[in-house]
Formats: sequence, structure tokens, C-alpha cells
Amino acid sequence: MVEKSGELKVLVIEDNPGDFILIEDYLAEEHAALKLHRAENFKKAKEILHTSRNFDTVLLDLSLPDIKNTETLVKEILALANGAPVVVLTGYTNKDYGMKTLSWGVSDYLLKDEINASNLSKSIHYSMERKKVQRQLYASEEKYRTLFDSSPLPKWVLDRRTLEFLDVNQAAINLYGYSREEFMEMSVRDLWVDDEDTLEQTVEDNLHDFFSIRVKHYTKSRKLLFIDVQSNPIIFGGREARVTLAHNVTEKLKAEEKLKHSQQRFKALVQDGSDVISILDENFNYTYISPSARNILGVNPEKLEGSNAFKYIHNEDRPYIEDKIKFIGKVKSFQLPSYRYRNGEGEWRWLETIISDLRDDPSVNGLVATSRDITSFKIQEKELRESLGRYDIVAKATSDLITDYNIENDTFQFSNAIYDIFGYSPEELGTSRKWWEERLHPEDYERVIKETKEIFSNQKKLLNIEYRFKCADGNYKYILDRSYVISDAEGKPSRIIGSVQDITERRKYINAIERSNERLREIAWTQSHVVRAPLARIMGLIDLLKNQRNNLDNIEEIIDNILNSSEELDKVIRKITNKTEEDF
Amino acid sequence: MLEVIIVDDDQIVVFIQKKMISNHEIASNPICFNNADVALNYLNDQQQLQNKKEFLIFLDINMPGMNGWDFLNCLESNEEKSHYHVVMVTSSINKEDKEEAKKYSMVRLFIEKPIHSSDCEKIKEIPEISHFFERV
Repeated sequence: MVEKSGELKVLVIEDNPGDFILIEDYLAEEHAALKLHRAENFKKAKEILHTSRNFDTVLLDLSLPDIKNTETLVKEILALANGAPVVVLTGYTNKDYGMKTLSWGVSDYLLKDEINASNLSKSIHYSMERKKVQRQLYASEEKYRTLFDSSPLPKWVLDRRTLEFLDVNQAAINLYGYSREEFMEMSVRDLWVDDEDTLEQTVEDNLHDFFSIRVKHYTKSRKLLFIDVQSNPIIFGGREARVTLAHNVTEKLKAEEKLKHSQQRFKALVQDGSDVISILDENFNYTYISPSARNILGVNPEKLEGSNAFKYIHNEDRPYIEDKIKFIGKVKSFQLPSYRYRNGEGEWRWLETIISDLRDDPSVNGLVATSRDITSFKIQEKELRESLGRYDIVAKATSDLITDYNIENDTFQFSNAIYDIFGYSPEELGTSRKWWEERLHPEDYERVIKETKEIFSNQKKLLNIEYRFKCADGNYKYILDRSYVISDAEGKPSRIIGSVQDITERRKYINAIERSNERLREIAWTQSHVVRAPLARIMGLIDLLKNQRNNLDNIEEIIDNILNSSEELDKVIRKITNKTEEDF
Repeated sequence: MLEVIIVDDDQIVVFIQKKMISNHEIASNPICFNNADVALNYLNDQQQLQNKKEFLIFLDINMPGMNGWDFLNCLESNEEKSHYHVVMVTSSINKEDKEEAKKYSMVRLFIEKPIHSSDCEKIKEIPEISHFFERV
């Protein structure tokens, strides 16, 4: 190699001193800066080449005293030359050998008889240049090989027509699991999974062109891969080939698929959920409203964007909300009191909203409001309140005692009538079933217990029973107890709601009627016996007078008896009348 | 032989019944009692004599002291009750009394006062005693 100084460093391996002087002369003619080393024999040459490796050229005489085998000589010197071109010098007789040495790798050969200054110098320079180019070529080839072999991306070279593998890199071997030797027996078709027709067509259409395509490949272990292929036509070792870059996108596709699913899921949640999700800026202007607003509020989400949320909130509810949103910035999340919101049809809907402050989150940059339509719940709540109110009013309005017995807890609840009817103050009041049963009239006890038992054993739903119940002052009152059993979800009696009516007055009246009926029965008996006795006598006597007159001794006496009996009858009737007036 | 007894506290009733019984040839001279326990004693005495008499008893219900029902109850326990043929004669037109009378096997007939000629004919036709009235 030519030094920067332009100095030419040459080793001359020449046993003949005359020849050496001649060479030295020729070279000196052409080169000002020349550094010439001489080795008289093979042994010496080896020594020099071992110690000093930076010769620009080696001139080698093939006839050396210490070596006969020219081939060994040439090859050993080439090996030791460290890339420096070796020019062989030979006598005429050895011309054939000289030619042969070229095939072994020497750069040139010169016949000693024909050497002159100019052709020697030219030969040296040509050899050096050629060597330089050779080295560059080698280096670039090396670079290419390194790029190909150590690329982290799988690559291979295919025959352009047969698609047989001509070369394959380590990354491809690693990815597909085939050894290099196996690859060399295969064509790329062996990797294909399906779509063979499309692939064949693509290859055919771009026979001499670049193409890229996504394909599915199987590895040796039949694992499915998604590969983005980029393929360029090249000439490889003189053959028409194509070099292919195989980018494995399987994981990427999976990740993309996952992302797509999660996006779809999110979309479904936001779009079809029962909540309206909106993002508001600090002034409560909408910056985003979820598509579910269309279904839930009957509004066009896009049209609402930019407008102020308070515009749609009922005037009466605004102060409560304003009161609450003062806390924004102090707490991360809070719930608004339920409020009325005018929907797309101009109707008021009750909404319940949770505000989350996500102004710090750059992907949101605002307040997130999650709202739910609770109108039907509100209506139900109102109805329930009204119905409870009605119950309270009924319980107050009626003079009946309303009882509510919880079977599981064994507790009674009484309306205030418990005091009005029985005189029990809250302090005197028990709540257990035992307390109630202890106040049953002894004569009614068995009957009441028997009937209530049927309720607990689930035979009866409705109890309608009259009995006497002890008051706080120890007296008994007649009551009509109408109780209804409420069952739980499993059909087991859980509560007994009762309406207890004070029927003492009615009972007294009935008792009075029963007593007067008794008296009437007495009167009827009196009539049939006492009243009818004298009458029957009169009738009998008259019958005698009429039909037996001839057999009668004393008619006068009979007539007297008729008169007496008549008077007796009169007396009896007067007595009854007086008695009746007395009783009623 | 059939002996006829009238048990009634009312003298006039006894008089009327006596007349009717004799006029209709049920008995020429019936024995009359003004109260039931005396009548019962008489019947017990008659039983002691063992003269195999049968008795047709005209019985009033409503009497002071022992009434008609008490009388029937006492007689009911008698071992020779098939010899007693009772005709209830009462001023009552009460249905209950009539129903009550049916409970006693000795009661053959229930007559509302005053006793009538048709009643007397019916008495003679009572199966248990009709043979006493057959004309020879």
C-alpha cells in the first residue's frame, strides 16, 4: 500500500544478486522514495514477512535455493503477505509456472528477460490498485453479509421464479424454527398458509419489481404468523433472485386487535349505556356529550357542544347545584342533588349527576359529569310518599285501631287508637303477641287462639273475629278484629295487618235486643198458656151449651163460669199490657 | 179394663172434660185430680193392686207444683208404662209444646183446649185402646 509520504516499500525475494541490483535500479528510476528489502531465500523471506507486515508489494523469484516446490512457496508467501500484492518474477523456462501462479492468487508475473523500469513499475502499481479494489469489494461484500446475517429482521433470498430459498439469515431461522439446511431444501411456498393464488399472482405481476404484501405464514411448529413482506429483485450469484424482508407483525396485530376491542367496548359503554357522560369546561359549557344523550335525553349531542349546561336546568333547582359546585377544585368527585333537566322534547326529566374533576388529565381537560335519568324513580318515590301519607291519614281518620304485627320479630305496632279505645298510654303498651293474648277475655281466649293459629300455619289469609279485650282500667271491650296476612317472597306469613273496631256499643245494643227477644218469647208463652186458658174454658163451656144442652143439670152455673172466665181473661190481658209497657 | 183419669188444676176445664168424656161414652165416671202428684200417687197405688188395669190419662201441661212434663217424666220410668195412654190437653197453641210431647212414647194424642167432639172420636180410634170402645 502506498504510504502517505509516497514512499514505496518493497520486499524483493531474489537469490541472484545481479538480478536484485537490476530490479533496484529499475525501481529507483521510477520512484524517488523507495525502501527496498531483500530476502536471499525462502527462509529469510519468511522471517522478514513475520516481523514487518506493511509491504506495499512483494516481488518473488520462483527459483529459490531453499525451496523446490513453487506452489508451496507461492501460497506461503501469499499467506504471509498480509494482503500485499505478490508479483512473480520468473525466467523464461518457467513461463508456464508463472502462468499457473496467477490461479493461485498472485497479482502478476513478469519474465525476467523482459523486465524494464517502466513495465516493472506499471506492474507493481497495477497490482497494488487491483488489490485495493479487491479489498474494497471484499469489505463491501463483508458489510452486506453482516447486514444480511446479523439483521434482527428475518431476511432471505429466493430464486425469482422457483421461489426456492437461496440464502436465509439467522433471524429467519430463529423465527421459523427451520435450520439453514432445511430452508435450503424448501421454497417460500412451504411457509404459506392460504391465499396461494393471490400470492402467486403478486409474485408474477412483480417479477422484476419491488412489492410489499401482508401474508400469513406457518412456522415449523405450525404457529401462525402475520408477516409484512417487502421484496426486491436482485442478482444473486449471477441468478435472478429477490431478497425479501419479513417483518413479523403478529404481536402488533394482536395488540391492535385488543386495542380495537377495548375501544369498541368503551364506545358501547358510552354510546349505549344508561348514563349520559359529558365533559364540561370550568364555565359549565359542554365540550363533549356521549351519544347516549340521544336516547336518554332526546338531544343531538353535537348540537349541545359549546352550550351552557345551566341553560337546561330548572330554575328552581339551579341554586342547589350552584351551592354544590362551589366545591370544585377542593374535592375530586361529588354528587349533585337531583335536579330537573329539559330534554329535547321540552319535558322535564329528573337527573342525578356525579361530577369528577379531571381538569388535570390532559386527555379530558374538564369536568366529567355522569348523569342518570331517575324520573321514573322520582315518580315512584312520590307515589310511595303519597300512599304512606294516605295510610297515615286513614289511620288517623278512622276510629279503628290499626295494628301491624311483624311475625318474625314478634312486635306489634299500634295506631294512636290503642289509647282512644283501650286507654293504653305508650308507657303501658306492650308490643309482643303474649301481651296481646294476656288481655283476651278468658271466655274468648281458646277460640281466638285457635283461629289465630290457623293464620300462622298458613291456612287462612283473613281473620274476622269478635272477642273481648281488656282495657287499661280492667274493663273489657267488645272488638271486631279483621286481620289480613301479608306473606313474604317465599309465601311465608311475615306480617299481619289488622283493623280493630270497638263494637262495645253495638254489642250492648245487640245484647239488649237479645234480652228483649227473650222477654218476647216469655210473652208468647204467657199468651199461649195464661191467656188461652180462660179463653179455652169459655169456648169449651159455650160448646157444651150449644151441643150438650139436654145433658146439662145446671145451666145457670155454666153461664156464671163463662162470665168468670171472661173477667179472668180481661185481667190477664190488662196485666200483659202493663208488663209490656214496663219493659220497653 | 180401661180407667179414665183427668189431671187439670182448672175446675171448669175438669167439668167440661168430664161432660164430654161421659157424653161420648169414653167413660161414665172419670176420676179427676186437681194436681199431678196426687194423680201420680193414685196410679202408683193402683199398680200395687196388680189388677192389670190400663189408664187413659187426660193431662194438662201448665199446672202449679208438678206440671204435665214432670208428671210424664215420672211415669216414663215406670216399668208398666205400656198401660198408660196419655192425651195431652193444653190451652197452649205453642208449636214447641207439641214437639216436646212427641218425645214421650206414652203420649198418644195432643189436643188443644177446649176439647171437641171430634177429639173424643179420635181418642176412641187410638190403636192401643180402640178395642175398649168396640160395640158389642
